[in-house]
Amino acid sequence: MVETTPDLSHRSQGAPALPGADMSSVAARNARPIRIEPDLDFIRSLNQRAGNALKKCFQCGTCSATCALSSDRLPIPRKEMAWASWGMKERLLNDPDLWLCYQCNDCSTSCPRGARPGDVLAVVRQEAVIHHAFPRFYGEWANQPHSIPLLLGIPAALLTLALVLRAPLENALGISRSLGPRISYSYSNVLPHWLLNTLFLLIAFLAVLCMIRGVLRLWCSMRTTCAGDGRALRAKGFLASLGVALKSVLAHDRFSKCAQSRSRYWSHLAVFFGFLALSLVTLWVITAPYNPLIQGNFVYPFSFWNPWKLLANLGGIALVGGCLWMIWDRLRNGEEAGVSTFFDWALIATLLAAALTGFMTEILHYVRLEPHRHLAYFVHLVLVGALFLCLPYTKLAHIIYRTAALTSAAYYGRDSTGPAMRVQATTSQGMEV
Amino acid sequence: MASEETSSGGGRRPARLTVLLIVLLLVPFAYSVVGRFVPKGTASDEVFLERPPAKYKRCVKGTDYMRYHHWELLRETREQVVRYGIRGEIALDRCRECHQKRERFCDQCHSAVSLTPDCFHCHYYP
Repeated sequence: MVETTPDLSHRSQGAPALPGADMSSVAARNARPIRIEPDLDFIRSLNQRAGNALKKCFQCGTCSATCALSSDRLPIPRKEMAWASWGMKERLLNDPDLWLCYQCNDCSTSCPRGARPGDVLAVVRQEAVIHHAFPRFYGEWANQPHSIPLLLGIPAALLTLALVLRAPLENALGISRSLGPRISYSYSNVLPHWLLNTLFLLIAFLAVLCMIRGVLRLWCSMRTTCAGDGRALRAKGFLASLGVALKSVLAHDRFSKCAQSRSRYWSHLAVFFGFLALSLVTLWVITAPYNPLIQGNFVYPFSFWNPWKLLANLGGIALVGGCLWMIWDRLRNGEEAGVSTFFDWALIATLLAAALTGFMTEILHYVRLEPHRHLAYFVHLVLVGALFLCLPYTKLAHIIYRTAALTSAAYYGRDSTGPAMRVQATTSQGMEV
Repeated sequence: MASEETSSGGGRRPARLTVLLIVLLLVPFAYSVVGRFVPKGTASDEVFLERPPAKYKRCVKGTDYMRYHHWELLRETREQVVRYGIRGEIALDRCRECHQKRERFCDQCHSAVSLTPDCFHCHYYP
């Protein structure tokens, strides 16, 4: 009771009409007329993809009441449902709170009208990725099933080109092709590390550049949404906010609050830590020649019981297991897992295929099948390349956008919303009434 | 009050799990860092080829081939001898003329990559 009251007065002075903030600031905003120009095509396309949800929603607010992540400072998903019904496309696509929903579908299963707000938000997130993508036409193109051949073809062509150019480049740069006195049954006689590192760093650089552009777009719009007329209510420094966000991402604490589809927490945890482990091992191997910590003591390929190899294998198993779990969940519990679109399947399938071809490469390596292991490795590299090239355009972009949204929530002090505080807030209101 | 307690209990479990997973992720780092600063018996894990006494000028095939494909050559030879009775130049016995000791030559790589070939179950190669 004591905690919430000063906060409300504080906000009414700052007056940046926060979505779902207290009544006084909303009243201040309503003093001047707001003209809504509905984007009818947007409403139509949302309705098409989320089962006519917007026609069913009658704004009862059950969704926000059942959502474990919703709070008085940061209410989801009722306001998003309203904006969607009104066709406020810009507002919706720039909404940071979109990314604070984990689609547990607690709201969808308890909606008295079967409007499935969780699915609507998932579809809007997909639209937001395309909206913030740079270049945007590529984002639109990359999310269509008929683009798959070219999406895989581009990294395949790049890798083939690199292999064709390998011999002349090695001659020109004076890179020795002899293996020296080292004994290792490695891949470097066909796909040397210098070539792969250069190519993939280039791909990653491009992807990160486009991603930065996209995330800056989102950040700017979040600033407008959260800070209104520029009088920002900063609660923390930027780095501290980023720390809070990363901690939340690592702990999956928001994910763990979902009641309806508890298994999503476990499958995502497996995929997340599997992916993280594999990324760490890859980074370690790439930086090995320049890493002062391991110089002189680095043998590649690792032996089977080397801790790095063990970590990579465990990570791979977690990734495959998590992906299979997600697929099983989506196929079996369609109702609870929510609608699955091409956007969802593309990411799960690419991750699973990349992990499986990785294991295939390893197995073929151990059974010493000479051309086959290189072929498997090639396919694996193409899939990994496709994953990176499409980072800003596919569902994988949620890594960045969600972290940005969590950071902004901490930055503008909208995140201190434990369940305990929600209980206090409701009792205080009840007492006032 | 009750709901508050359950939710805070649910919040502690993921935190503990996360710490455990992060520690797991850091184990290889610790291994590498410790391995860098703790001196070992051998200079490194790396396996180097033992240069054999020069009885012959060169091996039956090039070094690169022998390094990575000698088992294919031996497997082929085995098939020729066992199935078709064709004995050629190549025999495991003759390898020993240059590469004299098994543990100094064959085993070094094989054990480094956790490989236990079954050649020596039959063939005497001290």
